[in-house]
Amino acid sequence: MRLNRKFFLQIFFILILLILGWAILNNLIINLSRTGIGFNFYWLSKPAGFSLAEQPLRYSPSDTYAWALFIGWINSLKVIFSSLVFATFIGILIGFARLNKNSLIGLISAGYITVIRQTPLLLQLMFWYFVGFLNLRNNTFLNFKHLINFSIQGIDLFGIKFSSEFSALLFGLSIFSSAFIAEVIRGGILSVPFGQWEAFRSLGLSERKGFIKIIIPQALPAFIPGLTSQYLNLAKNSTLAIAVGYSDIYAINDTIINQTGRAIECFIILLSSFLILNLLITNIMGIINKLIIRSRK
Amino acid sequence: MSTKINKFKIFFLSKIKTCILLKPFSFFLNILFLSSIISLLLVSLNWIFFKANWSVINSNLSLFAFGSYPPNEQWRPSLWLVVLTFIALITIYGPKKKWLRKNLVFVWIGTVPLGIFLLKGGFGLIPVMSQNWGGLTLTILITSCSILFSLPFGILLALGRRSSLFVIRKSCSFYIDILRSIPLIAVLFFGQLLIPLFLPYGLEIDRVWRAIIAFTLFVSAYIAEDIRGGLQSIPKTQLEAANSLGLNKYQITRFILIPQSLRVALPALTNQVIGLLQNTSLMSILGLMELIGIGRSILANPEFIGQYIEVYIWLAIVYWILCTLMAFLSKQLEKKMSTNKGY
Amino acid sequence: MESVLIAKNITKSFSKGINALNNVSLNLEKGKVLVVMGPSGSGKSTLIRTINGLETFDDGELNVLGIKIDSNFDEKKIQKIRRRVGMVFQQFNLFPHLTILENITLAPINVQKRNKNEVKEFGMYLLAQMGIDSHAKKYPNQLSGGEQQRVAIVRALALKPELLLFDEPTSALDPERINEVLDAMRILANQGMSMIVVTHEIDFAKEVSDKVLFLDNGKVIEISSPEIFFSNASHERSRKFLNQLDKN
Repeated sequence: MRLNRKFFLQIFFILILLILGWAILNNLIINLSRTGIGFNFYWLSKPAGFSLAEQPLRYSPSDTYAWALFIGWINSLKVIFSSLVFATFIGILIGFARLNKNSLIGLISAGYITVIRQTPLLLQLMFWYFVGFLNLRNNTFLNFKHLINFSIQGIDLFGIKFSSEFSALLFGLSIFSSAFIAEVIRGGILSVPFGQWEAFRSLGLSERKGFIKIIIPQALPAFIPGLTSQYLNLAKNSTLAIAVGYSDIYAINDTIINQTGRAIECFIILLSSFLILNLLITNIMGIINKLIIRSRK
Repeated sequence: MSTKINKFKIFFLSKIKTCILLKPFSFFLNILFLSSIISLLLVSLNWIFFKANWSVINSNLSLFAFGSYPPNEQWRPSLWLVVLTFIALITIYGPKKKWLRKNLVFVWIGTVPLGIFLLKGGFGLIPVMSQNWGGLTLTILITSCSILFSLPFGILLALGRRSSLFVIRKSCSFYIDILRSIPLIAVLFFGQLLIPLFLPYGLEIDRVWRAIIAFTLFVSAYIAEDIRGGLQSIPKTQLEAANSLGLNKYQITRFILIPQSLRVALPALTNQVIGLLQNTSLMSILGLMELIGIGRSILANPEFIGQYIEVYIWLAIVYWILCTLMAFLSKQLEKKMSTNKGY
Repeated sequence: MESVLIAKNITKSFSKGINALNNVSLNLEKGKVLVVMGPSGSGKSTLIRTINGLETFDDGELNVLGIKIDSNFDEKKIQKIRRRVGMVFQQFNLFPHLTILENITLAPINVQKRNKNEVKEFGMYLLAQMGIDSHAKKYPNQLSGGEQQRVAIVRALALKPELLLFDEPTSALDPERINEVLDAMRILANQGMSMIVVTHEIDFAKEVSDKVLFLDNGKVIEISSPEIFFSNASHERSRKFLNQLDKN
């Protein structure tokens, strides 16, 4: 009796989904044919016709759309992974600082976290780009023995040049994520039972040694899930690159849709890119997790 | 195998280095730190009071609040905002009577259609097109509508993900996983672009509604995950007890599972609301005139060119205040809920 | 007889005027065992934690092994005390990510700067005395509660302490496991270790202690020898408490 009921419920559900799906697709097809575009991927081999400011690999407007999309993918990876490293570094510092609750440094880091977390990322990016780099105009902000140079053209680090769009995005994303990462770090350390702190103190171990040898190893596994979700968020937030004029995969996607009107195909391409990125980050963090567990045994 | 362990040791060592850098904060370092903080503070204060030109904010306050809403009718959005503030105050400081508590939820839900009515017009009020809705009003409208729709949808998704029916379970999982992989701006953009394509020809949906639908689809996936966490935290013994009392699945869900998981998930849900409020700013890239959109258009005005810092700082303050208020509101709600049920 | 611990008028209050400790004074001589008893919340744990600086106090003076501390938290002095005074906790607090042997040798190597091999040998010797040397390479979660607590005792002993503090060492153990830990403590007492033990185990107290201190609401109600305390306690409250314990 029960089996039959469940079976029919599922059939009913599938039917509803199918009807809805058919109605939507039908409208889609009608509308697409009305605009005369159709649905295919052949246009990927046509020349793109637009230029890109950010070119990690050689690109010219006569290259294909497919190549343009690939450049966008590389640009995205560039900014995402640099921001991950930068954000983690800052986040760890702020997270540790936040643990000294009553000192000056603890209060400042608490203030930093609350300001960064409660203002929109877009606003912060616009700040870094328009107020930060573009405002520099003819002045250079920092010129350290001609080795490190911050100016309107971006950052020049020992001869490697980063555009101002990349730099603004790097700073904006890293600082935004660092506030969240700081809370993950702090949460992980606080999750270690208080008895462990008492145990190493009563053995006479100094605060620093105890922190490094006893607390941190036990906090490491607690960091991983929080860090993973922050890294995934960072990857998704990198699409705000379009607001500062950095040609990441979303921005290029956007340009292509404006030029060719191929919204559905580009949507599929964007969706797949992010699914791949998702899998990439989740799997890397999984490997790190296994390494941590293995090193404890 | 050993190179992997070596790489991990390097990762470990770098963490130790940052620890050593911070821990011994000697007297000299403290003085250095303090003096740089004070000089930074002095520079900022100097700029705020003497160098900045705050007229860009003062002369545009109504734009920031209402967008390009016709001046004669601006009492309508302001009325709505006042009503919202009033209800928020009652939620925080109101008397603890039971009838009040029960109906408060419906009152909050009711503010949304009230807002839409006041803003849109019709039925005696002059209709105002959605192109003219903007600023703070639009931000709050998008946020509240999206939350109103995504909460029930998220709950349904969370329950569906636990369903014993294979098809329902897999479709809900699929939906949640896909929506959580895509960046929000893509969902918003494709919402603006694609929703009209999916509708029968002739049925037009306004840009604001497309945005609300896109936000709803996106946020409900995240809400579903938060509620799932809440559902998982309910001990199995409760289900056993409920079952032995003879309650059926629907009753258990309604009386035991949902209230408790909502209570557990409240902090996470608050974060979603705060995130949504901040994310409405993305609509400025897609042409809606919410807070940041208004800011940008003001900066494009030749009268106020180059006054980036004042406008951005003002916007940051507004968002910061709104988010802090929301966090405060939710903490109060948490307190009220726990005292009500007595645990 | 020299004293290992002299406490004079130790007072500690938490906020709202609640006194955790109220003018507690005691004197423990070398080689003697003091058992601290009292209802929950009476300040027993707080008292024992002030001795090695895990808790501060607001008034009074402590003289631990000749080192004097008062209400000012003198970090250096506390560290000196911790190198000579060992502590065993109710929740064992073993380090889960280290093996048993690593747990034991960590402090002697890093704090007392002793030779690695000497410390390892000594650790194995102590484990053998407790009968658990076969577990040396295992991790805490692979041992039973009673075994973990005995490891905790060895961990404290590895520092060659002159005074051992026990904070309800058997309260978190299954009844079958309590005796193995109490036996270990009995042996230590017989070997002349100075010990302060917070416990509810009356039989152990009767057998092993040289003095019993009864605390209630942070105040010392009475200090007497076990013979007097358990058969003919001088205070009304002590007798009430003992009656309640007996019922269990």
